[in-house]
Amino acid sequence: MDSVEYFEVECPEAVGKEYYRKIADIVLLDHNLIRVIKKLHIFIDPRVPIFIAVGITKKLPGPVKIRDFADVNIQERKVTITIGNEEYLAPLLNLLWQKFGKERVDQPDRFTILLDLSPEEEVGLEDLVVMDPSESLYKDLIYALQVIQPEGFKVRRQYYAGGKFYLVASEDTLPEDIEDTVRQKFALMGEKL
Amino acid sequence: MILEPVTYKGGLYRNDEIVDLIEDVGGYIIQKQMVATEVVIQALVPRDDIALISEVAKPLAGEITPSPLVGTEIAVVTPSLEIHHLPHASCDVAEYIRRFGAKTNMIGLARGFGKRIAQLNDEERDVINEHDLAIYLLGDFEECIRHKFPVLRRGIEVPIVVSGGPSKETLQRIIDPPVDGYVGEVGRFMHRTKESEEINKLEEVVEEITRVLSKKREEIAKDPLSVSPARLMDIIRERVEEIHRVLSPTPITVQMAGLRVKLPYDQFSGVLKELEIEQGVTIGDLADIRPSRMRDYILLRIRPFSETNIMV
Repeated sequence: MDSVEYFEVECPEAVGKEYYRKIADIVLLDHNLIRVIKKLHIFIDPRVPIFIAVGITKKLPGPVKIRDFADVNIQERKVTITIGNEEYLAPLLNLLWQKFGKERVDQPDRFTILLDLSPEEEVGLEDLVVMDPSESLYKDLIYALQVIQPEGFKVRRQYYAGGKFYLVASEDTLPEDIEDTVRQKFALMGEKL
Repeated sequence: MILEPVTYKGGLYRNDEIVDLIEDVGGYIIQKQMVATEVVIQALVPRDDIALISEVAKPLAGEITPSPLVGTEIAVVTPSLEIHHLPHASCDVAEYIRRFGAKTNMIGLARGFGKRIAQLNDEERDVINEHDLAIYLLGDFEECIRHKFPVLRRGIEVPIVVSGGPSKETLQRIIDPPVDGYVGEVGRFMHRTKESEEINKLEEVVEEITRVLSKKREEIAKDPLSVSPARLMDIIRERVEEIHRVLSPTPITVQMAGLRVKLPYDQFSGVLKELEIEQGVTIGDLADIRPSRMRDYILLRIRPFSETNIMV
């Protein structure tokens, strides 16, 4: 957790606090999320019981376009896309199939895609957005927090916007003033919700 | 004759000689597993003959080790087996106890999680009660354990060992009335146990279980069973042809005071009841034959000598 600027677990039970510190550490590492989290504060009170995790993310890389990982060569109606990084191949193919139809997209080998396009369709092809990492990040982050939280907390509220996120969970109905508590936890990290 | 639980590990080559020897000296094979070219035999053998067996095993490069948990069936009870909380500490514990010869069954409660909302239903309760011992693997917070454990133990009659995140002393303090065994600092964690420190903790779990079970063994010895469960297993294996067609790893599971026979109750309870042990004494005379709550298995509970006045 060295790359995280601020990481605290707050809990009235000293033993439980240490365990949850370790659990959070391992889970975030397993889910590959350490590098996107800037600050994280976890509050657990087994007496209520309630689990609150608040945090902010680092600045995320922007959306991935075709030009970022492939070369596009246009010769009249024939377009050749040479893939440099296979990581984005699957979403790219899906996107092309959707846009132009399977019969016009040909993939003779792993690294080449051939397209048959009209001149209007060729415009701006390089700038097509293939994937937006921030979209899936939200899901991953909330899922990881659900993994960290104690088992059986079925009542949840989650939030993510503008680089800030929180997850509140309990087995009982959440208190009405829960957002005030969340704000307090943000304040502990020197942030504002 | 005192039977000692042991594990034999050796090569495939001439392993039948060991099997024959164990049977000849009056021991019982509980389970025999063949993995590639290795054979692992769990058996109960007369104490005086252990030296003889290890001598015969020497040229075959086999070794015999005492494993105190052979012939016991243990319930590993965990409040939940939720997928996003994997890996569970209970997996490691269940696996580790098996190495010492016990047959473990994982029991993930349907609604055991949470603090106030934790529940134990009648099926779970009955299934746990069919075992020799139940080990409860609870979470990291003492407040939660204090609150939910009375619910999870309701109606459980077998010895209980509790493990959880807090220290052993804390567990002893918060659990009232006391249970038979405690292991501290084995709570919820999200990784596999690999470090020696963690392995030592698992070792502690096994020690605690062994201690509780030997106490139970002493209790049973005071009023001995009418017939040894291992012997009964042998008889069933010999006379009931269908048991060889059961595909589970232990078609007959040996418990400390009974057997779990993995045959359908409706068809076979009568057959077992009429089965003669010797000189006209049938299994029905010495044991209660009941349907198990686990699938449609049969549960045999051997009655003590004081009830039957027969010893075979």
